[in-house]
Amino acid sequence: MNLRGQKRRITLCTVKNNVIEDYSNIALTGMSARALVDDRSWGFSSTNMLTPRSVEGALANAIKLAKASSRFKKKRIELTATKAVEKNVRAPVKRKLQEISAEDIVNIPFEAYRGVKDVGREVADAKATYIGIEDEKYFLSSEGSRIRQTITRVLLMVEIIAKSSGTICPASENLGHSGGLELFDKTPPRSLGSRVAKKAVELLKAKAPPSGKQRVVVHPTLCATLLHEAIGHPLEADLAMSGGGFGDQTGKLVSSKLVTIYDDGRVQNGLGYFPYDDEGIGCKRTVLIENGVLKSFMHDRTSASIAGVFPTGNAHAWDYSVEPLIRQTNIGIQAGDYSLEEMIESVQNGLYLEGTFGGQADVNADFTFGFQNARWIRRGELAEELRGANVAGNAIEVFKTIDAVGKEAILRPGACGKLQYAIQGRVVPAIRCEIMVGGTGR
Amino acid sequence: MTTDLHENWTELSGYVHKAMKMLEKQSVSLAEAFFTSPQSTEVVVRNSEILTQNRAGDAGVGFRVSVKGNKVGFACTNSISERTVNEAAKNALHIAKVSSEIKSFALPEPNPIKKLKGLFDTRVEEASIEDIVELAKRGIDAAEGYDKRVIVKAGRVSYMSGWRGVVNTLGVDCEERETKTLIYLGASGKQNGEVTSSCADYMFKRTATLNPEAVGTNAAKTAISLFHSKPVVSFQGTVVFGPEAVSYQLFDALTDTLKGENVASGRSFWSKKTGKAVASENLTIEDNALLEDGFSSRSFDDEGYPSQKTVLVRRGKLESFLHSATTANLLKTDNTGNASRYSGGMNMARAIVGNGYRAKPEIHPSNLVIQHGRKSKEQIVREIDRGVLVDSMAGFAQLGSGMISAQLSTSFYIEKGEIKHPIKGGMVSGVAFDWFKQVSEVGNDSKQFVDSVVPSLKVENVKVIGS
Repeated sequence: MNLRGQKRRITLCTVKNNVIEDYSNIALTGMSARALVDDRSWGFSSTNMLTPRSVEGALANAIKLAKASSRFKKKRIELTATKAVEKNVRAPVKRKLQEISAEDIVNIPFEAYRGVKDVGREVADAKATYIGIEDEKYFLSSEGSRIRQTITRVLLMVEIIAKSSGTICPASENLGHSGGLELFDKTPPRSLGSRVAKKAVELLKAKAPPSGKQRVVVHPTLCATLLHEAIGHPLEADLAMSGGGFGDQTGKLVSSKLVTIYDDGRVQNGLGYFPYDDEGIGCKRTVLIENGVLKSFMHDRTSASIAGVFPTGNAHAWDYSVEPLIRQTNIGIQAGDYSLEEMIESVQNGLYLEGTFGGQADVNADFTFGFQNARWIRRGELAEELRGANVAGNAIEVFKTIDAVGKEAILRPGACGKLQYAIQGRVVPAIRCEIMVGGTGR
Repeated sequence: MTTDLHENWTELSGYVHKAMKMLEKQSVSLAEAFFTSPQSTEVVVRNSEILTQNRAGDAGVGFRVSVKGNKVGFACTNSISERTVNEAAKNALHIAKVSSEIKSFALPEPNPIKKLKGLFDTRVEEASIEDIVELAKRGIDAAEGYDKRVIVKAGRVSYMSGWRGVVNTLGVDCEERETKTLIYLGASGKQNGEVTSSCADYMFKRTATLNPEAVGTNAAKTAISLFHSKPVVSFQGTVVFGPEAVSYQLFDALTDTLKGENVASGRSFWSKKTGKAVASENLTIEDNALLEDGFSSRSFDDEGYPSQKTVLVRRGKLESFLHSATTANLLKTDNTGNASRYSGGMNMARAIVGNGYRAKPEIHPSNLVIQHGRKSKEQIVREIDRGVLVDSMAGFAQLGSGMISAQLSTSFYIEKGEIKHPIKGGMVSGVAFDWFKQVSEVGNDSKQFVDSVVPSLKVENVKVIGS
C-alpha cells in the first residue's frame, strides 16, 4: 500500500497583446492511495477532501478497485523488496518565488511582450505566459518509506503569430527549469520575446519547405521532440512490453553507433528533476542505448518485477489525483564530436530544421512532428529560409541514419501527454540524419 | 460513494454563496464563482489486459473578480472549508487589483435557462466498479473474438458524474447534475510477423448505454483490414476524410478560426468574412449545445449563459463565430454560449493548471455539428476513379494558418471505385481552409466525438505524399 499527499501552488500570469489576459492563483491539495492485492492487481483512488472519512474512503476504494479485476489479471507481480527510505529533500532554488510580489510578477510576461513589440508591427498576436509551480509531495509506503520532496519550477512561454497580407506565420518558444527565478538571469524575458517575434516575422517572407525524404541537420529544439516522442516512448517498459518498436532487442544494435541515450532524474535544473519517483525509488542515470546497442528500458516496480530487473525510478504521477506511470524524467543524447558548421558542411543538398510544434508518435515509433522553420542547405552552406511543416517516419529507422551528433548538448524544457500530463527535461545536441518532410513547396 | 458526492456539493455550494456575499460587500465591479464536484471511475486496458482501475474525486471552486477599470483576477482552490473558499475569493480580488484592463470584460446577465433533459443517468452514478470492469472485458472479448489475429493494445472505459454550478453578482445562479460515459478501444492485427498500426473506435454517451461489443468489433475490423499495406506514389487528387480524421485535425483548424477571441485579435483566418463564402456549398456547420444525447450538451455554458443552437456556416457562407459574454460585448454581437472551462488543445499552460474550476473560461464549441449528407462512405468511395480514404491520420493543424501535414495511419488507396490496399507511410498536406472550399461530398455517417458530431468529407485536389 502506498499513500501520496501533495500541496501544489501555481501562479500563472498571461499577457496577451499588452493585456493581462489571465492572472491566476491555483491552490491544490489532495491525496491518493494505491493498493496491490493478490500479488497481481493494483487499485488506485484519490480525493481532494482531506477529512479522515474521505481519506479512509480512498484507502478502502483502492483495495476494492484492485480486487475488482484481480481475477482477470494474467501476470503475477512480485515486487522486489526495497529499503525503507526516510528523507526530506528540497530541490535547490536560488531566487525564491516569494521574492517578488503579485504586482511584480506581471512584469515577467510584460517584459517578454515588450521584447516582442521591439520587433515591429507585423506581429498580429503575441502571448507570454509565466508559470511558477511549488510542489510539496509526501510518499508513505507500507514497506516503511517516508519521503518528503519540495520542488519549485518556473516556466516562461512565448507564442507569436505574425501576419502580413493574408500570410500567417506562428512561432513559439518555451523556457523552463527546476529552480527559482534565477531562470531569467541567463535569459531575460525581453530577449526571449524578441527572439521568437523575429523568427515569426522573418518567416512571412519565407517559402514553404519541400516534400519527400531529405538529408537534414536537426537543431536541438526539434531533436528534443524526436528523442522524447519517438525514441523515449518505445523505451518505456510498459509500452515496450505491449510489443512496441524496441521490444525483445536488449543487447542488439538498434541504432546508429554514434548514439548513446540515457534518462536521468537528477539532471540539475532539468524540468524532470526528481530525487525520488512516486514509488519511493531513487532516481538515477539509466543508460538506455549505448553506442547504438539497447541496454535497458525505463521501469517502474511492476514492469521491473515482470522483466526481472531493478526499477529505474521512472514511476511518476503528474499530481496526487493520478497514479504513477512509467515516464521519462530528463532524457538525453550524449554529445558527440561535431560542431554545427561541420554537420552542415558535408551536406550537398538538404535542410536544416529548427524549432518544434510538438507532435505524436505511437509505440512502433512512427511519428509526426511539426518544425517551426528551416533553411535550405546547398553545397555545405545554409541558404534561403523556409517555413515550418511536419516531418514523419519511423524514429528507429531515422535514428539508424544518424551520421553525426553535435558536440554541445543543451537542456530543454519539455512536456508529455501519456494518459496524464508531465513536464520533463531533455538534454539534446543537434543530429544529422535522413527524414521525410511533408512540406507544400518544391 | 454517491451520498458523499451530494453532501460535498451542498457543503461547497454553501461556502461559495457565502464567499460571493463577502465579495459583494467589497469594491468589486463583477464577481463570479464556478464550482464543480465531479467523480470518475475509470478502467484502463493495455495489451489485452485490464491494467488499472481508478476512482477520483476533485471538487473545487474558481472565482473571477473584476474591479474598477475592468481589471480581472482569478483564483481557485480545491480545499473545501469556509475559510479556504473565502480565501480564494479574496485572492482573486487581490490579483484583480494589480492586474490590467481587459477591454469589454463582461459576465452574462441572468437569462431563463431551460433544463435540458437526458444529461443525467442515475445508473452511471450508481454503477459499481465490477460493472465497469465488465464493460472493458466485453470490449476486449468482442475485439479479440472477432478475429484471432487481433490484439487490443489500449483502451479505456470511463464513467463520470457530478455537479456543475455558476453564480455571479448580476444574478446568475444555476446548477446542473450530469453524467458522461465513454469507451475507447485500440486494436492491432498481427500475422506472420506483420503488425498493423493501432486502430481505434470510440463511443461517447450521457447514459449507461455503452455498447462495448460494437466498439470492439469495429476496432477489430479496421485492424485486420490493414494487412498487406503498400506505399503509394505522390499525387494531387481526391481524398475522403473519415469522421475520426475530421474530428481531430480539421476540427482543430475550424475551431481555432471560429473563436470570437481570435476574431477580435484579427488572427482568425475568417475575420471580416461574415456573410461571405468561406467553404463549399456542401458544408453547413453549427454549434449545438442542445443536441439530444450530445456528449457536450448542457443547459448553460460555463459562465451560466443559456445553451442554444448557432449556425456558423450555412451552405458555405459564414454566418457566426463562437462567443462568450466578453467577446460578444467586445464585438457588439450576441453571446452564443460558448464559454468553456474544459477546452482541450495543446496549450501547455492549460495542461499544467488543469481545467474545470481551475481555469477561467475560454471559447470552445459545445457539440460542433457538420451537417451530414446523403451518401454513405462506401458509395462515395465507389464514385472515385483514383484517390485515398483517410480514416485516421497523425499530426495536427498549425493553429492560425490552418496548415495540416499529417501522416496517414488508417488509410486506403482507391482505384476505379474500389479500395485496392491499405497505405503504408505517406502523408497528406495542405491548408484546412482550402480543403473546406474543396469539399465535393459530405457523407451520411456522422459520428459523435467529445465535442463534435462529424461525417466523412470528400475533398478534391489534396496533396498526397508517397513514401
